[in-house]
Amino acid sequence: MMLEVQHLTKRFGGLVAVNDVSFGVEPGAIFSLIGPNGAGKTTLFNVLTGLYRPDAGEVLFKGRRLSHRLPEHIAARGVARTFQNIRLFGAMTVYENVLVGQHAHVRYNYLDAIFRTFRYYRAEKRARVRAHELLDYMELNDRAFELARNLPYGAQRRLEIARALALRPALLLLDEPAAGMNPKETDEIKRLIRRLRDDLQLTILLIEHHMKVVMEISDRVVVLDYGKKIAEGTPGDVRKAPAVIEAYLGKGALEGAA
Amino acid sequence: MSNALITLLPSVVLEGLLLGCVYAMIALGYTMVYGVLGLINFAHAEVFMVGAVAGVEVYRYLGPLVDNPYVLALAAVIIAAGVSGALAMAIERLAYRPIRRHGSSNRLVPLITAIGVSFFLQDLVRLIEGLWHGEFYMNYPASDPMEYLHELPFGMTIQNKSILVMVVAVSMMVGLDRLVRRTRLGRAIRAVAQDLPTASLMGIDPDRVISRTFLIGGALGGVAGVLFGLLYSQINPFVGFVPGVKAFTAAVLGGIGNIHGAMLGGLVLGTLETLGGTYLFFLTDGAIGNEYKDVFAFVILVLLLLFRPQGLLGRAQGEKV
Repeated sequence: MMLEVQHLTKRFGGLVAVNDVSFGVEPGAIFSLIGPNGAGKTTLFNVLTGLYRPDAGEVLFKGRRLSHRLPEHIAARGVARTFQNIRLFGAMTVYENVLVGQHAHVRYNYLDAIFRTFRYYRAEKRARVRAHELLDYMELNDRAFELARNLPYGAQRRLEIARALALRPALLLLDEPAAGMNPKETDEIKRLIRRLRDDLQLTILLIEHHMKVVMEISDRVVVLDYGKKIAEGTPGDVRKAPAVIEAYLGKGALEGAA
Repeated sequence: MSNALITLLPSVVLEGLLLGCVYAMIALGYTMVYGVLGLINFAHAEVFMVGAVAGVEVYRYLGPLVDNPYVLALAAVIIAAGVSGALAMAIERLAYRPIRRHGSSNRLVPLITAIGVSFFLQDLVRLIEGLWHGEFYMNYPASDPMEYLHELPFGMTIQNKSILVMVVAVSMMVGLDRLVRRTRLGRAIRAVAQDLPTASLMGIDPDRVISRTFLIGGALGGVAGVLFGLLYSQINPFVGFVPGVKAFTAAVLGGIGNIHGAMLGGLVLGTLETLGGTYLFFLTDGAIGNEYKDVFAFVILVLLLLFRPQGLLGRAQGEKV
């Protein structure tokens, strides 16, 4: 398993945002988390990436314990993410955002930087080349030297993904990458997610509200409602599960339909 | 009369820029720490003072061994940078970080801690110097080559030590600018300043970056202490307060959190203050003397903040570091 979530629980005061959730993600899978608003999906991402500490349960990444570690350690181990509400470094250029993403992979010490040694130039040059490769891949190279905050919305979403890829992750967490996109852009995102998995051998954990995206590209889906896992399976299985229909459409929806 | 004022102008501006260099170097420490932590580190004035004292000690112990005054001054600069940088890091580690860890959301707590650290350091230096040398008023020794006066056009004159101060200050500020813009650490500092949690998700260890920020800001402050000592000679454990407040003012003037703003704010404040101090005296026939130069500096600050609250280079929303 690439990622194993075991009996994970996160409380905020009296609210149990994530309640005893378990699932496993196979390497190379596109794995989706769905559920109504407030179901605990983003909270789960925040626990996985170390922003929140879980109250119970474990997270294993490639068999090693990830829960209770600091965000910077988890990121350095190979877990990268994007945000539902974009969180770029707005006052930096597009290109610098990708360089920041490479932080753990740029290696030289302060003396190298002060005396501009060979090592400094080599490391910085590698980082620059890689940044431009990633920007090319995400079709952002023509805007490389604009401030991130001045990019249009769709490009900001792509830049977040480019920055996440700069970490050279094995597992990529995407939090609603298609939010606020029109049907054409949504199609592009769908293709992009597949491409990321196939080109870069990534495992992808996806939160998404566009059901079309989820159903078409996911290998497996977990459904959360009020912090609890109410269903898991292939997109086809999940679509038919009574608990899911009830969570999305309300109690009685099945009886009404029948 | 007015003729005399005009001929005086270039020299006064030059003197103001020198003072401004010192303010700018100190202001950088305030603004960088504010950038990453949102904290006004009032203990920074004492980091500056400790740098000045460390410089005096270098003169005291290396002076008899080294003949060349420039080598001596550079040794003082380097050692003061090290001592003050280490001190600033230690303050962060021992005083601010534990408070941050315990997650007090009250912003007054670190601020009051900073003031406490400030008093502590003043008295600690007084104690150490008192025990070590029997007194805590110190002097940077003058040396003839350093005092040598060059004639410049427009009736300006400049001493060798002033040239040294400018060269050191400008090269350190250029170095800092390049560090912040072009290195991995610089990018990490800016990332932490803009959004700490997101920076940590990029694999950046925020505590490490904060620590390095204190180190760099402290080193700049320590160097400023030596430069201040070279220019004004007399040093004591309480010498940090006024330049510290001025430098804080300069940082706000330039837009707190903004590195170029701190540099610009320092130069502007130093120049205006020197101009005000000199010209008010003449224009009022001595009724308002040079001792009002501080009032003048703060009046400028108040006026600027009335019309541009974000400072000279600050953005309304605050583009930090």
